[in-house]
Amino acid sequence: MKYLNKPIKEINKLLKDKKIKPTDLLDEVYASIEANKDLNAYITLNKEEAYKKAKELESIEVDNLLFGIPIAVKDNICTKGLRTTAASHILENFVPIYDATVVEKINEKNMIIIGKTNMDEFAMGSSSRTSYFGAPKNPWNHDKISGGSSGGSATTVAAGDVLFALGSDTGGSIRQPASYTGLVGMKPTYGRVSRYGLIAFASSLDQIGPMTNNVYNNALLLNVLSGKDNKDLTSIETDEDFTRLIGKPLKDVKVAVPNFFMSDIVSDEIREKVKETIKILEDNKIKVDYIDMKYIDKAVTLYQIIAMGEASSNLARFDGIRYGSSYENPENIYDLYVKTRSRGFGAEVKRRIMVGSYLLSGENAKIYYNKALSIRDDIAKEFDKVFEKYDYIIGPTTTTTAYNLDDPMDDPSKSFMDDVLVIPVNMAGIPGLNIPIGLSKDNMPIGMQIIAPKYEEAKIYQLASFLEEKINFGGDTNE
Amino acid sequence: MKNKLTKEEVLHVADLARIEVTKEELEKYQVELKKLLDDVEKINEVENYDDEIMIAPWTNNTTLRSDVEGPMLDPKEVLLNAPHHTANYIAVPTVINENESEGA
Repeated sequence: MKYLNKPIKEINKLLKDKKIKPTDLLDEVYASIEANKDLNAYITLNKEEAYKKAKELESIEVDNLLFGIPIAVKDNICTKGLRTTAASHILENFVPIYDATVVEKINEKNMIIIGKTNMDEFAMGSSSRTSYFGAPKNPWNHDKISGGSSGGSATTVAAGDVLFALGSDTGGSIRQPASYTGLVGMKPTYGRVSRYGLIAFASSLDQIGPMTNNVYNNALLLNVLSGKDNKDLTSIETDEDFTRLIGKPLKDVKVAVPNFFMSDIVSDEIREKVKETIKILEDNKIKVDYIDMKYIDKAVTLYQIIAMGEASSNLARFDGIRYGSSYENPENIYDLYVKTRSRGFGAEVKRRIMVGSYLLSGENAKIYYNKALSIRDDIAKEFDKVFEKYDYIIGPTTTTTAYNLDDPMDDPSKSFMDDVLVIPVNMAGIPGLNIPIGLSKDNMPIGMQIIAPKYEEAKIYQLASFLEEKINFGGDTNE
Repeated sequence: MKNKLTKEEVLHVADLARIEVTKEELEKYQVELKKLLDDVEKINEVENYDDEIMIAPWTNNTTLRSDVEGPMLDPKEVLLNAPHHTANYIAVPTVINENESEGA
């Protein structure tokens, strides 16, 4: 590796001083992707267009830190003229006619999109094994999952192919794969990043966010992604530099650890590693308290109701009429809907939209969905209450390290339970980040989650950068 | 408590979701869907919550964008993604069929 192991500021200087060209970076990226082909991180590569853009950039002045820097984009984010499948058979040949707002934003900074990353079908899953294109493999151990749903983005960054990737997080889909692969992954505050052009899974939970191998790069990319977008009325104005608190001393900081996060649902090894990290905080005069939080142990149940309900509604648009694959020679329009969808969707997606449709039908909407929304409000209030006294909530990101790719997939609850620790954050719409804190005995990454109140991403990066320096993870997958 | 849905129940939810279930899949879904529906029943274990609801975790005041014409998608490009189209229209199978009481 020549350039892609360097800090972004050094790469930027090399580009600025014309010592290297954007095409040099692409050469390195594509050579690495080719060497790591077996990891199955990508659904579609954008090689031709990427080189075209890199050539164009040679005559443009380097005006920002991300200029000419390659980036991978999760395949549920629309890219104009570049196939976008959401890892589904039903969108196998779908080519969007517009860019997602985040794609416009990275293009404005003259970053170069290198390809579309593998994922769980429509982001439904926790191991990326529901992908129509086969699962990506974990660079740390090729027999293990990379997590999901942003498994391809996690894989390619962890393998060292590229420094930046976009993921999306509905119930942990950025933080959980980041934890399994030893990366920094941020799920921003709901509304921080425009969802326009993100293929919707559960609209009240979905957020796009950055996945990188260090804290600074992560904050830098969030600077680009965030901000008000007239095409997504839930988006908010952002006028701040998320890197501004990185490296700044932590004063009078109080941290809460929910007892639920350290209960016996989490493996001993991960709990030990989190306790070691807590010790580092305490040694540096940061006060850490264990607390009880109501309702968070029920977040998975709420998620199942809300996410499956919203998904059943969002995926109603895949009907074989306007775009996507379509069943030929149907008997009538009902036949077209049913045959198109039955052939186009995979097993996990079908299960979720069937259950979701049921939960929203007739009286059930009151019994399940409305009750879930009530308790969701109480979870958010519970977080608010904790944040009256504490600056951060921390805990493990996952209950185990990455498991085997060939572990059985016969329990439909498993993909939800894998995300038991990350889902509460989506319920409340607050930001959460995974930071790697060490390795297990079998050399797999262990991650910790840092959670803060709404709009406090900069504070999350502050604590994350402190731990990054103390722990010096610097994990090497030997890819 | 029964440990699987009846075949009729599976066919009902499949119809709601516009999904076709093959004979082989039917038995599998009887068990799998029941498992998920049992999961969501756990919501009834929660007591002592207030009546306020949160539809989305989003409290900032919304303002609709001003009602002025913006850039539009080119209909030609839009139609390229439609499996069937004719002139400036997307083509669909017959929606109303006099001989059929069922339909979309």
